[in-house]
Amino acid sequence: MKTLIIGTGKIGCGFAGQLMRASGHEVVFASRNPAMVDYFNRIGSYRVRLAAGQNAEEHLIDQTRAVSTSNKKEMADELTSADLIITAVGAGQLAKIAPMLADGLRGRTTPVNVLAFENMTNAGSYLRQLIADNLPRDHSLAEHGFSSVLVSRAVSQQLGDPTSDDLITFIGDPIDTWVVDNAALCQSLPATQGMIVTENFEAWIQRKLYTYSAGHAITAYLGYLKGYHYIHTAIRDHEIRNAVLSAMKEGQRGLDARYGHEIAGSTRDLLDIISRFDNASLNDPITRVGRDPKRKLGCDDRLVGAARLAEKAGVNPEMLAFGVAAALFFDNPDDPSAADLQHAIRIIGAGSALRQVSGLDPSRGVGRLIADFWKQLSAGWRSGNQLLSLNSMVWAWS
Amino acid sequence: MKIAFIITHHPPTRPSPIIPEAIRLLSEWGVNVDVICPEEQMTDLSKVRVEHDLYVLKSGTELALSMAGILHVGGATILNPYPVAEMLRDKIMTSHILQAAGVPTPDAFVTADPKQLIPLLDDGPIVVKPYRGSQGRGVRVIRTANELNETTSEDGFLFAQRYYEPQGLDKKIYVIGDQVYGVKRVWPPRTYEEKLGEPFTISPDLHEIAIKCGRAFGIGLYGFDVIENNGRSYVVDMSSFPGFKGVPNAALRLADYIYSAGERVLSGTPLFPTLRKDALV
Repeated sequence: MKTLIIGTGKIGCGFAGQLMRASGHEVVFASRNPAMVDYFNRIGSYRVRLAAGQNAEEHLIDQTRAVSTSNKKEMADELTSADLIITAVGAGQLAKIAPMLADGLRGRTTPVNVLAFENMTNAGSYLRQLIADNLPRDHSLAEHGFSSVLVSRAVSQQLGDPTSDDLITFIGDPIDTWVVDNAALCQSLPATQGMIVTENFEAWIQRKLYTYSAGHAITAYLGYLKGYHYIHTAIRDHEIRNAVLSAMKEGQRGLDARYGHEIAGSTRDLLDIISRFDNASLNDPITRVGRDPKRKLGCDDRLVGAARLAEKAGVNPEMLAFGVAAALFFDNPDDPSAADLQHAIRIIGAGSALRQVSGLDPSRGVGRLIADFWKQLSAGWRSGNQLLSLNSMVWAWS
Repeated sequence: MKIAFIITHHPPTRPSPIIPEAIRLLSEWGVNVDVICPEEQMTDLSKVRVEHDLYVLKSGTELALSMAGILHVGGATILNPYPVAEMLRDKIMTSHILQAAGVPTPDAFVTADPKQLIPLLDDGPIVVKPYRGSQGRGVRVIRTANELNETTSEDGFLFAQRYYEPQGLDKKIYVIGDQVYGVKRVWPPRTYEEKLGEPFTISPDLHEIAIKCGRAFGIGLYGFDVIENNGRSYVVDMSSFPGFKGVPNAALRLADYIYSAGERVLSGTPLFPTLRKDALV
């Protein structure tokens, strides 16, 4: 079983590569980075450290090799002979690898599944379209499978220099789960560590988005208001912890009403998510997790989507709304999306800016809840100020 | 990440749970933390080496400062830098540096002859303080020439400031990085609860003063006492690493700041980008 993994970044090596090797696959990486290609062909191994607090387990991933994405012949050879193709290049890079994938798939005589390990819910169908755009109209991709993959592990760091002889190490949290959309596959996948194949992929996406991602974002936005630097410190603040758990519960109740208990999960699942936020090994800065608030406040995205789903289920999404209101104060000048949002709030007001990014009406329902919280927060907010207490809304200075 | 705390253990009558809690949090986050209590060990000076990525100088004792000085010369990164901690132990230098930075402070004087201070009493009382004192020890308010004549100092000279009668509760301002916190408390506090005081929202003027104090020394971890008199605020004392008692989630915020500082050291980013060069020499 030969698996070609395109991308030698954190998810390609720190997640996909580790699990494929652990499941006995032959792993070949493809990279645009000559230093990484050279590293894999010289050393062939790397480490994955899965850490939670002071507990860590280290895995040696060996017998790997790599090809350069700029070497068309070698890439075509690997693409035509692979039993499974994985992309882990970042959603923004998919368009760049599509022509190469189109060439490779054209040369194949057998169907193959292409799994997109990207942080993009529709990455599979998007990649299929990009590849189709690079093929003659009469060339069908119908025999191949293109599935998005929902990745659970957070891989935070890559340590080491690929030009040296020392092993590179990827650091992540010890979560193995990855979910594949069965309807998008062309043939069944071999049993692989951590894999869940589902007929209800959209539900799994929403489960992750409206619990884990919503909680992560709210930790960042409330942590920012209270002046913390890291997710693992913000979540130790009891007020933030309680708010995040409440917000995730609201999202979970929405999921329960729509998809049932099996997808929605239990309170224990939410506490497990919070314990992942506690993990200092991931060293996740608040500015990274909170970045691009315009996207994160999208109509169906983690916060507004979860709040709308909860509202539909008859749940008052109070803490989700509070999280959205906090996001409207995420004033990180190094983040173009945050700067844009702040500019819009100054020019057209918070209500109109909210309507623009999320489509919510600030005078009704969730929109009104958010607008009311925004008003309360804005009474004390100044750039650089810190909220001393979420419950009493006391600010450090005013 | 390896961090060492240079501390003094407080007697049980002076509980100080914030630093132990910050140390516990940092350890939980995977930081290799060592605690150095210079007063409780014999140190072979020939064997003192820089062995940590970051030193946190919490103690202000003479011995702790000397150890920090040795580490500073050895190239250690210290929070706060040894020269700044040393300057802030010296009320004469502190007063001058704050004044020069435009921070409102009471007029301050230094003399070996107490009689020379007598004319100052025409404009109201003065307060004399040991120039390296702390915790309010040895502080006396002088209202008359007789009181001044009876005043002696182990320093061989007197450091005096114009005295402003505090109006209302004692106000402490604490700064952790770019975060400024106000805590008000009764003076003198008798219990631990009284020492914790009560957080208050500080005014924009006090916020600006707090920023100026930090810029004057190029540090981000400090505290100062404020006296408000007739609508004006005066910074009467500043310390390099106060107890942060009363700051909401003080241990968590300190641990967050120290962790972030350690990350910056490991990544080669300067820890004190705003540090005045002249404050370090």
